[in-house]
Amino acid sequence: MSNQRQASSASQVPHLSPAELSYLYTSLSLPKTPIRPDGRSPTQFRPLTAETNILPGTNGSARIGFADGTQAIVGVKAEVEKTVLSNETLARNDGGAGHEHGDQEGSAAVGGHGSWVQMSIEIPGFRDDDALPVFLSEMMRESLVGAVGTDETSDMTGGLKGRLVINKRWHWRLYIDVLLLSQPLAYPLPLLSLTTHLALLSTKLPKLKSQGEEDPFFDDDWAVAEYLYPRPSLSSGGKKSARSSFVRPPVTLLVISVGDNIIFDPNREEIAVADAVLAISITRDSEAGNLKLLSIRTVDPPSRLTPPGVPNSENVSMLGAVAPTEDVAVLNPATGEEEVPGVWRPRRGGVKRSVIAEMVKTALKKGGVGEEVLEGLEGVEVS
Amino acid sequence: MLRANSANTQDFRFWALDVSDNFVYLSTFHVKEIKMMADRRRINGPPGGTRPAVFASNLQSGTSATDRAQRQRQPSELRKIFLKTGLIPTASGSSYLEFEPSASLAAARANPKSLIPPSSALKLACTVHGPKPLPRSAAFSPNLVLTTHVKYAPFAARQRKGHIRDSSERDLGVHLETALRGAIIAERWPKSGLDITITILEAEDDRWWGSAPDSHDASWGMMNVLAGCITAASAAIADAHIDCLDLVAGGVAAIVSDETTGASTGAPKLMLDTDPAEHRSILSACVVAYMPARDEITELWLKGDSSKASLENNDDRTGHEALIDGAVDAARGAHTVLAEAVRESLLRTVGQI
Amino acid sequence: MPLDTSTTYPLTKLRLDGRRWNELRLIQAQISTNPASSGSSYLSMGNTSIMCSVHGPAEGRRGDASGTAGGAGAIVEVDVNVAGFAGVDRKRRAGGSDKQSSRIATTLRSAFQSHLHTYLYPHSTISIHVSVLSADGSLLAAAINACTLALVDAGIPMPGLLTSCTAGMSGSASTPRDPRNDELDPLLDLSLPEEQELPVLTVGTTTCVPVGENNMDEEEGEMKVAVLTMDSKLHCTYLDTMLAVGIDGCNQIRELLEGVIKGSSRA
Repeated sequence: MSNQRQASSASQVPHLSPAELSYLYTSLSLPKTPIRPDGRSPTQFRPLTAETNILPGTNGSARIGFADGTQAIVGVKAEVEKTVLSNETLARNDGGAGHEHGDQEGSAAVGGHGSWVQMSIEIPGFRDDDALPVFLSEMMRESLVGAVGTDETSDMTGGLKGRLVINKRWHWRLYIDVLLLSQPLAYPLPLLSLTTHLALLSTKLPKLKSQGEEDPFFDDDWAVAEYLYPRPSLSSGGKKSARSSFVRPPVTLLVISVGDNIIFDPNREEIAVADAVLAISITRDSEAGNLKLLSIRTVDPPSRLTPPGVPNSENVSMLGAVAPTEDVAVLNPATGEEEVPGVWRPRRGGVKRSVIAEMVKTALKKGGVGEEVLEGLEGVEVS
Repeated sequence: MLRANSANTQDFRFWALDVSDNFVYLSTFHVKEIKMMADRRRINGPPGGTRPAVFASNLQSGTSATDRAQRQRQPSELRKIFLKTGLIPTASGSSYLEFEPSASLAAARANPKSLIPPSSALKLACTVHGPKPLPRSAAFSPNLVLTTHVKYAPFAARQRKGHIRDSSERDLGVHLETALRGAIIAERWPKSGLDITITILEAEDDRWWGSAPDSHDASWGMMNVLAGCITAASAAIADAHIDCLDLVAGGVAAIVSDETTGASTGAPKLMLDTDPAEHRSILSACVVAYMPARDEITELWLKGDSSKASLENNDDRTGHEALIDGAVDAARGAHTVLAEAVRESLLRTVGQI
Repeated sequence: MPLDTSTTYPLTKLRLDGRRWNELRLIQAQISTNPASSGSSYLSMGNTSIMCSVHGPAEGRRGDASGTAGGAGAIVEVDVNVAGFAGVDRKRRAGGSDKQSSRIATTLRSAFQSHLHTYLYPHSTISIHVSVLSADGSLLAAAINACTLALVDAGIPMPGLLTSCTAGMSGSASTPRDPRNDELDPLLDLSLPEEQELPVLTVGTTTCVPVGENNMDEEEGEMKVAVLTMDSKLHCTYLDTMLAVGIDGCNQIRELLEGVIKGSSRA
């Protein structure tokens, strides 16, 4: 247990032998056409089932289950809270220091605050202050809060933070609770991110009846509640063009590179041989309609901790049994290290800049994986 | 739990007025009132803060926007770094890192208008313990098991930090671990552990102290802290004589839009080694851990909207690529300091023998 | 908002949610919901909904105490997690688990440790993970029912279904029973507002393995109480009535759960 807690990603290294690792690596790094253990294409996601609004007691909720049995449930709850202005801001507004006045008010009332969104992740077998839940929740929260809409006309000015502002003195506080229902079989990031996205899409806030700077009161009728992220109205026909103009919550994709190949949504065998693992958060740009990058984080690839294989030339028990010509070390073009083909070596070092650029490009490409994922999530019926 | 605490804390500022001078001298100290764990043994202060009288005439001259720190370096000019190894004799490797205080801080010290320093400079100490045998109860590991602890001293930031590591400190620890694990040749120490502990004595600000806490609340200062942690930890690991692929150095670059007074509203620009206190608005920032000999990145953390950056006309890189390249350039700069510090460490060891 | 049952109930004999005294809430249940575990279930009683998954019997973790202690039979581990969004107000647990969930976990563990045929699996661990998705009263009872379903799905032998239900007593239950006025107001399957207001008793019963042919039809005599908890003050003259109501509820639930299990095996 103590060992499990130390590492963030390495905790989930499957027990694969060096021979298996080498086989996996070789098939995944085949130039242009990697062969994945489950027969998917490099950009294909695992099949999943999704449903939303499963919990009547929440403002929004979603459940996603992957075919391998991992499931996550996300519940979003919102509470009204009084906006606490700091002493300095108050002092300044009271003091009426001319030109500073508008500036300060604007930032507090329109901008919103990142701490209004709280996120907690429950993973069985982990305490909630262990490295993995903390890392995952910080990663997802930072892209969620960081997504600032630039569209001046819509409700979503200032992104999610701005949407939470009711008036100068009141705001919504959003609690996002993520529950992973089973032991994480793979790095759970894609599952948790997709489920959070769906839950936020289905989140509704009660309709505000008060106006301006009054203390807020709301319409009791849940049927007229408004979506946190405005939905396209049915009258517009649900065309693609109409859809893309709405701000959407971000999605975090897990991307690995193996050799020269870039592979999305890896399962845990694939991630065990990855050269580099990146978590890329993207969202739809409300102006241009294409995708934009919100954050990148490297995830520690578990391949650094795998057991090495021993080439025949160094194996004492095989001494003289094999012709020495069979295992000549060659230079691996991807890692720049000498390796004997078919003998697993744990990965060392980092990732080249060109690889990172390629991974981001594949995720953001028009008609690429990112768009496909967002389209797919948009298609989930939100009732 | 910790996050809940910080939401419930209140922060009182005590203002001392010196009217004779027509300046407001501010001495601030923070009293943390934690509602969940109220101290029952002592007489506590009032639950709500009271605000002292502030005179508008004094306020104008005291804390106006003119005191905001301004960046005086070139966009690609880094702050000087002080890095020394082997300061802690009980650890197998150690290092101390300090960033040069920004020019505005030096000016404020020479000609004090306010007791609050306009910006802070990073100071941190790193110790490495190990390689040492793993405890008996631990499972077999064919590799060196790395544990990283990053802790802010309670006085490191303008807001007091608690003694228990909060989520941002744990997050930094994970980032640092990722950065270092790529550089260490771990299979040379099976069944052993390596503990890296970083104490941050003075942290970078997330924003100028005078701006409203809401103005940009992303923790940009944390990224500078991480870059410093990576550089210092790398020096300490080398000081502990642990085999690495290369010295890994941290660097920060950011895309900032400084709406300076007047018509010259600058388009977002790429700057290296940004001090968040000196900028009005940081759009996007990136920190890398970089190994120059292999031209590889072991840790990358980028956040914010990098698409608006205005680059040179003949530059066809996208915003994030430019940002990563900028951070790599900053890391290259830090690497020269790192290499010199490690050379000193080596000479000292050779001299001892 | 205090919801005063004691004023309206004597007049209408209808409870806050419109049920009569001996009516259960709507029970929906499903087994094999999670293919990644050995057995899993979803159960909702009214607005209380619970997901449960069982792993094992599996070899206990190395270095755990269970490796030595589990010599005679399997160890049952229970982990209860009440989601932050389960209640009306969002609640953040302080570092790990709170009192309520650890109490439920302890009760579940002791109930199933003695209920299951653990002697069949020496040196192994059966771990049960309970997630409370929404909490509206009778949490322990719903958790026991969900665990029973998940354990059946996992194929772990047990003498009979362990089902549970709550019973309460409306009216002035702290004064002795009036011998002249023999009208009692017991309530079955309490929801959260009722549970907060009235004395409440959780009872779980099980049936024995029918031995011999003539025992097959007289199930009533072989009923066993496996779980019985009550935290509230109640005059002891009311206890047997509440117990009888609760046991009756358990029997109703047992039939429902049997239907769920049989229905899913046919499909």
